[in-house]
Amino acid sequence: MTALYRLAFLFLLILGWFIASQFIGRNIIPTPLATLQAGARLFSEGRLLEATGQSLAVFLSGFFLATFVAIPLGAMMGAIRPFGKTLDVYVFALAATPRVAFIPLVIVLLGLGIEAKAFIVFLGAVMPILINTYAGVLAADKELVEMARSTGAPQTRIFSHIVLPGALPFVAVGLRIGATIGLINTVVAELYTAVTGLGGLLALYGNTFRMAEYFVIVICLAIIGVVMTEILRFIESRLGRWKMS
Amino acid sequence: MTEKPSQPALEFAGVSKTFDPADARPAVSNIDFALPQGMFISLLGPSGCGKTTLLRLADGLIAPDSGTIAAFGAPPRPGPEIGFVFQSFRLIPWASVAANVEFSLRSLPLSKAERTERALHWLEKVGLSRFAQSWPDTLSGGMKQRVALARAFAPNPSLLLMDEPFASLDAQTRELMQAELLSLWSEQKASVLFVTHSVDEALLLSDTILLMGTRPGRIVETLTVDLERPRDPDAIRADTRFIALRQHLSKKMRELVLSDPQSDFYGR
Ligand SMILES: Nc1ncnc2c1ncn2[C@@H]1O[C@H](COP(=O)(O)OP(=O)(O)OP(=O)(O)O)[C@@H](O)[C@H]1O
Ligand SMILES: [Mg+2]
Repeated sequence: MTALYRLAFLFLLILGWFIASQFIGRNIIPTPLATLQAGARLFSEGRLLEATGQSLAVFLSGFFLATFVAIPLGAMMGAIRPFGKTLDVYVFALAATPRVAFIPLVIVLLGLGIEAKAFIVFLGAVMPILINTYAGVLAADKELVEMARSTGAPQTRIFSHIVLPGALPFVAVGLRIGATIGLINTVVAELYTAVTGLGGLLALYGNTFRMAEYFVIVICLAIIGVVMTEILRFIESRLGRWKMS
Repeated sequence: MTEKPSQPALEFAGVSKTFDPADARPAVSNIDFALPQGMFISLLGPSGCGKTTLLRLADGLIAPDSGTIAAFGAPPRPGPEIGFVFQSFRLIPWASVAANVEFSLRSLPLSKAERTERALHWLEKVGLSRFAQSWPDTLSGGMKQRVALARAFAPNPSLLLMDEPFASLDAQTRELMQAELLSLWSEQKASVLFVTHSVDEALLLSDTILLMGTRPGRIVETLTVDLERPRDPDAIRADTRFIALRQHLSKKMRELVLSDPQSDFYGR
């Protein structure tokens, strides 16, 4: 049913887009058909796939690096209280600094290649994952922890069976926010450093007023965003099977 | 654990515990009692008199400020020798019913297969074998309580600490569970320290009742229940000795609540 409503709404969106293109002017807002044709052209030229591949490589390497750093670090900060209390002020300070501020520094250090871009994605994605994992471990159910203690469970078992699974919903939220910011930073990185990928095409078509092509890229980015969050939502619902439906 | 039969399952000597140093009144003060092996003792008292605190002390989950506690002659340590049924169910929501029961077996030197077998055996005993693979959230309150009972009994503890385990159940389920508990207890030969604020429940189940008062939490009376077992819940309510004990305890409980300056009923 939801799928049907979603399709109906998509139809309404396209209708609204079509009406807007008629009233505002086709040179500013291309018609859906023109956009589709531009999309087919970009696809057959191979430029779309190449750019998408470049962007995905940047995004995925940055995002996975962030995940592998943030989850263990956040879990450790929650599990070892003195360690967490020492670091958390700095983490929150860094999270509040606009990460774009670091781009010139990253370029100086890492150049303009994929390493620099992936690192900019990493910078954006790492904080929400870290902060949410940390919060999730700290929010461990005290009553369950005491129950586990009463069975004679050692700290390691309490952590792996009670604390960590309890923190998973928090981690999942962090991953979703991290993925969104990571995608934004992918485009930002591609605009700031050597202009490549979907961000590069966005700049190219935007600056030359090729609006149909420009729209194709915007829609592509939206689709990547949707697919990414749906995958994470699916993993989340698999992990949360025990929740009452 | 080596245990001489003469050794009490649990012994408190001059035990006091204060949570808040700013509060002059300890949560429990100067507690003295012994639970002989194989006996069933109930702690009866109004809300806030420190019943849960006594159980946590008895399990070694918290340490006393003064006095000594011994379980089978040694300071208590949380583990499979002491079973704890909590006031709330405390089931792990992301583990199946069977895995919840297995959790308390992990501290024993058992293989995975042995753990599973023992957990299923206990689920059968509490009538829940069909729900072994269910999630705890899909069970009713009474069923969750039975899972918690199975989890506490599964490691064969020599001492069972039970904190108002049946308080949240309806009257019918409670009676069934009380009968179930008594049959498990007589089979397992465990010693039980049982918390309740129901006079009837204390009289039906216990050998001895420790009546507690508030502020500070203390034992105000020790009462032996001289009613032969097995006790039939319907027959026993008509027994004159039961009625006399019940009247006495109810009156005492009322006085304790009315004389508590922190109670809303103070001085009425
Ligand atoms: N962890 C804690 N920190 C601070 N105070 C506590 C703590 N646990 C218990 N207390 C205090 O100790 C006193 C006894 O509490 P306890 O939970 O043992 O009472 P209880 O007899 O189990 O009450 P109830 O019948 O309502 O469960 C109360 O005044 C309570 O506020
Ligand atoms: Mg209590």
